[in-house]
Amino acid sequence: MRKWLADNLWRHAVGILVSFFALFPLYLVIISSINPTGSLQVSSFIPKEFSLNNYQKLFNDPTIPYLVWMKNTLLISAAVAILSVIIGASSAFAFSRLRFKGKRFGIQLLFLVQMFPAILALSAVYVIMERVYNFAPGYGLGTQPGLLLVYLGGAMGVNIWLLKGFVDSIPIELDEAAKVDGASAMQTYWQIFIPLAAPILAVVSLLSFIGTFNEFILARLFLVDMNSRTIAVGLQGFIGGQYSQNWGAFAAGSIIASVPIVIIFLSLQKYIISGLTAGSVKG
Amino acid sequence: MLENIFRHLPKVLKYVFLALTFSILVMFIQSAFAKKEYEIGAFLLLAVIAIAITYLTNLSIPLKFFLPGILFLSAFVIGPILYTVVMSTFQYQTGNYISKSQAIERVQMLGIAPDEANTTFDVVVGTYKNQFAILASDSLNKRYLISTTSERIDLASDLLTINENGVAIKSSDFSPATSDEIAGLDRQISTTRFKYDGDYFIMLEGSSVGAVARQVLNYKASEDKFINLVDGSQFVDNGRGNYANAGNPEDILQPGWRSPIWFSHYLDLVKDESVRSPLFTVFIWTVIFAFLTVLTQFALGLLVAIAMNKPIWGRRVYRSIFILPYAMPSIMSILIWGGMFNTEFGAINALLGTDIAWFQNATFARVAVIMVNLWLGFPYFYLITSGAMQAIPSELSEAAAIDGASPRQIFARITLPLLLKIVTPLLIASFAFNFNNFNLIYLLTGGGPRNELDGQIAGATDILISYTYKIAFGSNIQDLGLASAISVIIFIIIASISLYGVRKSKVLDSFS
Amino acid sequence: MQKKLIAKGLASTLVLALVAGLNIVPAQAADKELVVWADETRGPNLTKVFAAKGDWVSGYKITVKSFSSFDALKDAVDKATDLTGPDIIVGANDWVPTGAKNGKLAPITLPASVKARFTANNFFDLSYKGSLYGVPLDINNVAMVYNEELVKNAPKTLGEMVNYYKANKDKKKLAAGLCIAGGGTSWGAHSVLSALGGAAYRMKNGAVDSSKAPIDPADLAKNIKTYLLDANGKSNGFFPATDTGCKDNYLDGKVPFAIIGNWEWQDYMGRGFQMNLMPVPGVKAGSYGTMFGSVSGAMLTSYAAKRGVEAGAKDLLINFFASTAGATAYQSIELRPPAEKGAQSKVEFTAQQNFGKAASKAGIPQIGAILNGTTGSKSYWDLLPAFWTAVLVNGRDPLTEATKMNNYFVKNITAGVKDL
Repeated sequence: MRKWLADNLWRHAVGILVSFFALFPLYLVIISSINPTGSLQVSSFIPKEFSLNNYQKLFNDPTIPYLVWMKNTLLISAAVAILSVIIGASSAFAFSRLRFKGKRFGIQLLFLVQMFPAILALSAVYVIMERVYNFAPGYGLGTQPGLLLVYLGGAMGVNIWLLKGFVDSIPIELDEAAKVDGASAMQTYWQIFIPLAAPILAVVSLLSFIGTFNEFILARLFLVDMNSRTIAVGLQGFIGGQYSQNWGAFAAGSIIASVPIVIIFLSLQKYIISGLTAGSVKG
Repeated sequence: MLENIFRHLPKVLKYVFLALTFSILVMFIQSAFAKKEYEIGAFLLLAVIAIAITYLTNLSIPLKFFLPGILFLSAFVIGPILYTVVMSTFQYQTGNYISKSQAIERVQMLGIAPDEANTTFDVVVGTYKNQFAILASDSLNKRYLISTTSERIDLASDLLTINENGVAIKSSDFSPATSDEIAGLDRQISTTRFKYDGDYFIMLEGSSVGAVARQVLNYKASEDKFINLVDGSQFVDNGRGNYANAGNPEDILQPGWRSPIWFSHYLDLVKDESVRSPLFTVFIWTVIFAFLTVLTQFALGLLVAIAMNKPIWGRRVYRSIFILPYAMPSIMSILIWGGMFNTEFGAINALLGTDIAWFQNATFARVAVIMVNLWLGFPYFYLITSGAMQAIPSELSEAAAIDGASPRQIFARITLPLLLKIVTPLLIASFAFNFNNFNLIYLLTGGGPRNELDGQIAGATDILISYTYKIAFGSNIQDLGLASAISVIIFIIIASISLYGVRKSKVLDSFS
Repeated sequence: MQKKLIAKGLASTLVLALVAGLNIVPAQAADKELVVWADETRGPNLTKVFAAKGDWVSGYKITVKSFSSFDALKDAVDKATDLTGPDIIVGANDWVPTGAKNGKLAPITLPASVKARFTANNFFDLSYKGSLYGVPLDINNVAMVYNEELVKNAPKTLGEMVNYYKANKDKKKLAAGLCIAGGGTSWGAHSVLSALGGAAYRMKNGAVDSSKAPIDPADLAKNIKTYLLDANGKSNGFFPATDTGCKDNYLDGKVPFAIIGNWEWQDYMGRGFQMNLMPVPGVKAGSYGTMFGSVSGAMLTSYAAKRGVEAGAKDLLINFFASTAGATAYQSIELRPPAEKGAQSKVEFTAQQNFGKAASKAGIPQIGAILNGTTGSKSYWDLLPAFWTAVLVNGRDPLTEATKMNNYFVKNITAGVKDL
């Protein structure tokens, strides 16, 4: 019994303390979302009033196309998730498995480019997409496909570390066996690498899905029309008013928006952990 | 036959896909050139050529894997970076925002001054003897006239059709334009100067108002200067993007333009104490912030992972709770935390029973920023380390245990070093991410607190990227040129540090 | 076999590419279009108004782009260029100096008949270096509201308010005495600074009086010590340095006095509060803290001329934004106080008139050219909140801080008056 205590008690202590830390802000969001005054003020930790007005507003108010925002977000995030994984995986594969001149230089460049403080590049991206709009209005500034294109700019670099770790962990003998059988690099990639990498690809696409879901600085510049906005932009609008802030609707909207991600996370958690592990094992 | 099709299916698909890509791109190239977007057209053309060479020949196998990524990277990352580098050599700030030709156009337009009495007319646009003309009425003084670019005809009111507001709407020889025609004439309406008196002319403000004015400032292209036609003063290019009075350099014409000043911004960064010293302070804090963030996130993640590394009761529940912060949209979490740190009403003070002014005190604000970032990031490291620990072969620790090592020794000597080796690349990636973690700072503290009264430009929690943003897009004076120069410097510093670190830790070795 | 396939592939690719390429030539816009940019509340309401009646300028189609927030609108305005920039921007009057300096806004001359429908101050707010850049839309101002259930009569001096707070702090569980619910601790709090004897600039006969320093540091410091600090030099809790939670506290009856904005009066009326509005009383009876009044405007951009719709854009400004019919149609949905005089009588509410009365006692124009600051100085918007924080939160010496603030203000005034 004492041994059990010594071995398990501290584990539960850590678990409970960290759970409190993790849950505390979320609890406050929930309180705010059922607070009819729409404020974030904490007068007491136990809600005195209960109302679902904030939730009803999201679905009944014709000026808040919440479901459309949700659909937009899911579409854009899913497209980015899939396309960026395709781009990222093939780059990681080439960096890991192929021999070519300037490989070291290439990976260093890719590594460094991501460190550029790109906030000023916003203006440049804006100008570029304005011009694209000028000749291809469907793909330029203010359109979802345009935003998608911009997001893909980061596809090659962002998750390369996780992916690279994974490719490195696949025994090289497999490639060599394939080579002996006369397979080209492309065939090795499609027939050996892609099936083996399925778990890590799923994780990486999930990560970029969440990343896109959260992005709001570019999205805010791009998606002006009420009906083309993403959740992040729409929700930020509740609290970014010139004079007024509507925390209640913001909190309610946030809770609903995070439900799909939380569900994905919780149902796939085993898978995610094994994917992350696979990517990071073998340094 | 069927087998043959299946064997060639990937190839067929590839060519169909390539053909589609080409057709789409060629279509875009054509419209880009038609709309005179030559740079983008040329980029797309190069892209088409690169795609054709890469995928239709076997010239370079690696490029087949890289090309899509490279194209997007060049267009939306490298291109904008180069743009930033170029902008850093320009005087590019509030007041110097547009191109020189645009600025000349604007100054010329603003150089029009109304007459003393601010005379305005109600006008009807139309034609007089087949010439573009206006029928103008001053209903108060009962003055009526027709004016074209070359002549002015005063009219007596009895010859006119005048409406209830005293505005002439019809006259012989004058045929008014229909409202649809007016829309088509927009450019002419806005730019035509109708004859009035001497150097005064009538300019239209919309399609129904005319104002008497004259050109006071006039651009002389041959000498590249503006001349004030009334007092004769001259305004010449001052080399910093403005026309300045030749007699009084302080007197400049607005708006100015972006003018190349080469390395002035960089020199300022070195020479000018007021630019250099805040930048240095911010840089130090940025490094500390990124380092502490990674350290705390990793430490807590690791602690939790160790605690959960045994099938204790309720582990699944714990695990689900721990990843919640990671799964919530981070903008929302950051803004909520911002509210929680409020001095008077925030939950943190309510919980601790204190009245700390979190965001008004430099040290507390920094603690708050790190704490929020810890909340946001520890689940990631928890997931990674717990995964990695499962992957460490158990034989090693078992062997050590047989040799009499205590669990603590096993952890310190075997598990931790192996773990660190596994997660180092991810720690570095996380450091780089937090070095530029704009959202957190921008949404949580806005970089503050900043003692404006002591002349501080940078706030206590400002990291380089939020500081740069403030210089470039802040409310007061927006200096994109200087901000670009700072970005470039930041990049050089962080790039050298990380390259050094990366080489030292041999992270990139597997790529050689 | 493979060679053949490649050849076939190449051929089909080229054919497809050519076919696709030949067919598509970018379509030209048929109708002339006027593009208006606005924020998340004004935008949708303008859309509604134009949907109900779209022929304010015949021959043009009016399109309103509504941004997700006021900040997002400002972001886009900062970055807009000739290519996709709007023809008219509905925004705050302090955008005018920057917009004019950057060549983004274009001047407009209005006939006397239109000018007569607004006040001179309205135009002053939207002008830079003598040129007018837009048409006034709605008036924004603040006033102090007091909770009648706590305080029976309107206070006559600041001291009276502080005494009430001290006497009832514990008994009535007051969170503060006076707080800023609307307009923030710089714009909204000018009246507090002014009630204590300071100002951003002094006005004399409708013009800026640059001969007199805006702040007498000794006087301001003395008043702050008397009214806002306790014996130890710490805040006595009467006036909080931040505006967070003020509105809720007032509505909960935990703050007797609050400065509120005229755009949010419905929230107070909705909770059964009377609009007991007045300016913040000064140190001496009969004096009041001055408050900024500002207008939002519909501003003309230089992009309109580039796109060949400048005349149409000016027509829209004159026929719709500056007309009684237009302002009435718009403000009867938007419910902000219209700047246009004809619309004022049609859509204004008693509550709004009370704001107007308070402003008439102690209103001053908001001059962006001074307040936004100059090179080497700081903006008023950043300085005043920093001052409150330094004095009320961090316990700095009021005299030193007031002196520093005054020096910046003087610098801004000297530079700013040149631009008027």
